Parts: sequence; C-alpha cells; structure tokens
Amino acid sequence: MSDAPTTRVNNAGRGARRRRRPWALIGVVPFFAYVVIFLVVPAAAVMVEAFRANNGAISLSNISTVLSSAQPWLHSYATSLELSAISAILAAILGLVGTVALVSSPSPMVRRLVTTGCGVLANTGGVPLAFAFIATIGNAGIVTHLLADLGFNPYYHGFSLYSFTGLVIVYLYFLLPLVILLMLPPVEALRHEWREAAATLGASSRYYWQKVGFPVLTPPFIATLMVLFMDAFAAYATAQALTTGSVPLVPIEIGSLLAGNVVTNQANLGDALGLGMILIVGAAGALYVFVQRKTARWLR
Amino acid sequence: MRPTRAFRWVVLGLLGLYVLIPVAASVQFSLEAGYKGRLSLSAYSQALAEAGLGTSLLTSVKVAAGAAAITLVLLVPTVIFVNLRFPRWRAVLDAVSLLPLGVPAVVIVLGVLGAYKSLPSIITGTPVILALVYVILAMPYSYRAIDAGVRSIDMHTLVDAGRSMGAGWAKLFSRVLLPSLRSGILAAAFLTVALSLGEYAIASIMGFTTFPVWLVGVEGNNPYVAVALSISALAFTWLLLVVLALAGSGRRKRGTGFGAGLVGPEVEEEISPSLAAEEEAVA
Repeated sequence: MSDAPTTRVNNAGRGARRRRRPWALIGVVPFFAYVVIFLVVPAAAVMVEAFRANNGAISLSNISTVLSSAQPWLHSYATSLELSAISAILAAILGLVGTVALVSSPSPMVRRLVTTGCGVLANTGGVPLAFAFIATIGNAGIVTHLLADLGFNPYYHGFSLYSFTGLVIVYLYFLLPLVILLMLPPVEALRHEWREAAATLGASSRYYWQKVGFPVLTPPFIATLMVLFMDAFAAYATAQALTTGSVPLVPIEIGSLLAGNVVTNQANLGDALGLGMILIVGAAGALYVFVQRKTARWLR
Repeated sequence: MRPTRAFRWVVLGLLGLYVLIPVAASVQFSLEAGYKGRLSLSAYSQALAEAGLGTSLLTSVKVAAGAAAITLVLLVPTVIFVNLRFPRWRAVLDAVSLLPLGVPAVVIVLGVLGAYKSLPSIITGTPVILALVYVILAMPYSYRAIDAGVRSIDMHTLVDAGRSMGAGWAKLFSRVLLPSLRSGILAAAFLTVALSLGEYAIASIMGFTTFPVWLVGVEGNNPYVAVALSISALAFTWLLLVVLALAGSGRRKRGTGFGAGLVGPEVEEEISPSLAAEEEAVA
C-alpha cells in the first residue's frame, strides 16, 4: 500500500529526497481550470473581441471609435483617470500622515483598534456606503442641514455630493484605511536603530530623512498609490449609486453599453473600452509588482 | 522630529470623525425619516414591508452561500495538496490567486457575457453564474486566508502521525486537517460571503436582483428606507468582519487570521516576513 504513489507522503518540505512524478500535479488541475474558465478566458475574450467588427471580421474599428475625439469615450477615460489619480494621491498623503500618527502612539490598544477598524473599513464600499453619504451630505443630509442651519448650505456654494468632488470624498472612506494597512509595516520598519546609528555617525535629522527615511519609504508609498489607483479605477457601485452616470466613468459607460441603455450598433465597443481598462490596470499592477520587490528587501 | 502628542490625537481624532460621522448621520437620517427632531422606527418597519426585500435577500444569501461553498471545495484541497507535495508551486498559485485584482469586475462581466453566451441558460441565465464569478473576485483574499491557515500548522507531522497510526486520506482529511484548519477556512468563507453580499456591478449589469441591486431601486422611491437598510447591511458586514478579526487575533502567527485574508496579499507579505523567509528556506 505504501508503495502506491498517490498515497505516499512526500516530505519535500523538509528536504527529503523525492522522485519527480509530474502527473501527480493533477491535483492542481481543478484550481487552474477554474481560473482559466472564469478569469483567463473572459479576459482574453474581451481582448480578442475588441479587435473584431460586428460581422466578426478582424478590424480596428472599435479601437478607432474609442480613440476618436468626436466620441465621448476618451473623455470618459480622462475623467476616470483623473478621479482615480486624485483619490489615490489624496488618500495616500492623508493616510501616511495618519500612519505616522498611529505609529507614534505608545498604546497597543489604540493601534489594534485602528488596524482592526481599517481592515473592516477597507472592505466597505458599494451601495450602502454611497447611501450613508447621501444621508450625511446629500442635499437632504443631516450634516447638510446642520451646516444650512449655521448659515452655510454647501449646495448654495457649488458643492454637490453627486459629482466628481463627491465621489472623491466617498472613495476616501475606503481608500484611507487601506493606506494605513499598507503603510503601517514600512513606517514601523524605519527602525530606531537606524535613526540612532545615523545620529551617532553625526547625521542631522534632515540628512537622516534624505538618505534613509525617504529612500526606504518611497517604494512602498508608490506601491500603495498603485493599489489605491487600481481600486478607485475599477470601482463601479459607489459611482453608479451616487451619480447614476452623470459623471462619465469608463466602468459605468461599459455597464450601460452592456445593459443596452445606449443605442449602439457596435456590440464590441464595450470590449474595446474594456481592453483600455485592462491595459491601464495592468500597467499599474506591473509597476506595483516591480516596486514591491524592492520593498520586500527592506522589510526582512 | 518625533510627532507630538497633540499632532497624534488631532490626526487620529479627525480620521475617527470622518469614519463615524456618516454612520451616525445615517442612523439619525433613518430614524427621523424626514421629520426633524422626531425619532421613530417607521423607516425600519416600512423597510420590512417593502416588496422584494425577501426575494432579493434570499437571492443574495443563496449566491453568497454558493460562492463560499465552491471556494472551499476548490481551494482547501488544492492548498493542502500543493503545500504537502509541491511546495515549489506555492509561489505560482499565489501569483495566480492575485490575478483577479488586475481585472476589473466590469471587464469580467464583459468577458463572461461574450465568451459564454452560447452556454445553456441554466448557468448564465440564473444567479448561479454570480456565485461562480464571485469565487474569482474573492480569490485574492480567500486563497490567502486558507494558505495562511495551512502554513500555520505543521502539516507534515500531522500527516505522518496520522498515517503511521493507520488513518486513510479521507480520515486524515476529515478528522485531522480540516479541524486544524478551522480558522483559515472560516476566514475564507466569511470574506467570500461579505464580498458576495455586497457586490453590485456584476449583478446589476447581468440583470439579477440581488439585495444591493434591489436597494438602489428602493432609494429612488424612499430614501429613508434605503438608508435604514444600508446601515443595517453595513452593520451586518462589519459584524461579520469584526468576528473574523477577533477569531483571528488569538492565533500565534500574525499572518494567520484577520490580516491575512482581509487586508490582501501585499500586507500579509509585509506583516509576516517570517513566513516569507520560511518559504525561501523551503524552496
């Protein structure tokens, strides 16, 4: 019985000598098959269909429609990029300040409370969050009324929750906790010993930050920016629930093309728009992976 | 240049207010239901009477349960198998499990609708497809939760011990491995459920009336009811995630519980350099 290859316990992890049995890899087939069927094939289908006209012929017509300045699509990309970039940068800067404040706290209780809270909040989003903000600073929101009673109704001064600015405010709600979670380890890793060593060697505080602090924090900061950007760029629910399409974002446009809200004779136009999203998110992801490798070295 | 006490409390206080104000405002908004200063539960009782609440919730719960079940059946054996027999493949699976982060949900819908429109409608025409796709969306988190659980136990010793006492694989799996992986499995299931219950983009584009999709429809007619339901939904998800956090916090290794799945890959790698080092030693 113990000779049956399928039942042998392999101690590979302990360095025991093992024989190669490539066919035993069959155990990972279901996993890979699932990912191929529900992720790889759909993504590939989008990329292929983007280059096909409605009659099935290979064509660049969808791509050129997307890139045409006579069409609204480039503007959607610009809006999406702008929204994600502004949200990501704002969240990263504010979140970094928060992280530094948190790390300086001597109380482990505060730290645990905040990190647990951040883990929960970073997973909050979507429709309920949008509605919570409508109840807060929507045109009939509690805080709006409060401000109006104080003589300052933000809606009389150009503010609207159902706008670009409003979306940034709501996005920060789930992006900020994410920054704290991502930046906490590198900020904590700025070891006191380094600081002391630098001081012993005669470095000023400014010199320390210039030569140690910033170089160490820059890669994780950029990596965090990329995660935030991807998160904001792909977000759909919050924007749809808040603006119902009045702020033209690429995911929303794709959604309405698919749902048939827009009269179009180009079924594959959505695929071309999707291809653009894949490229943009892919670029951000690649930069993330590249920077992350550098970070990992410092944290070990 | 150490931050002062005042700086710390001002910053943390402002962040706290930013988090709490929308929650407090939602509660007040739903209790007032348009009548300033007069609190009542009417929005909540109306919410319970709202047509479609039961069916949309039921759809969401079924989809969430289905996604969690598929996740566990697919991932638990895979992760155990790879860790036991092909530890070198861990890096590959780890990378593959992260792929969904690079594909926006809208693009997945585009692709699924495009690639599988010819499939029988029992799959693509019913919420079954939602469960199948949510498994993918949750995978970056669920995979990490299970993997962290598997790495936190000494599986080789458990398996050797079990087998030397004559246990077969089925018994090993059900009596030894599954019980010792309880918290990782629980974390993966919770995370998948939380994600599935809240997902809006795919469900609405594909035209399935899950709870969030139904909720958006309600908001147009009665914002107070919609906010009452939203805050209840948020409270429920937060409860789910906090329970998960508390369940995970008692563990020895930091990468095992809460942070592992919830926060995502990047963080887990960072907060548990020991695990990463361990992986290198193995490989």
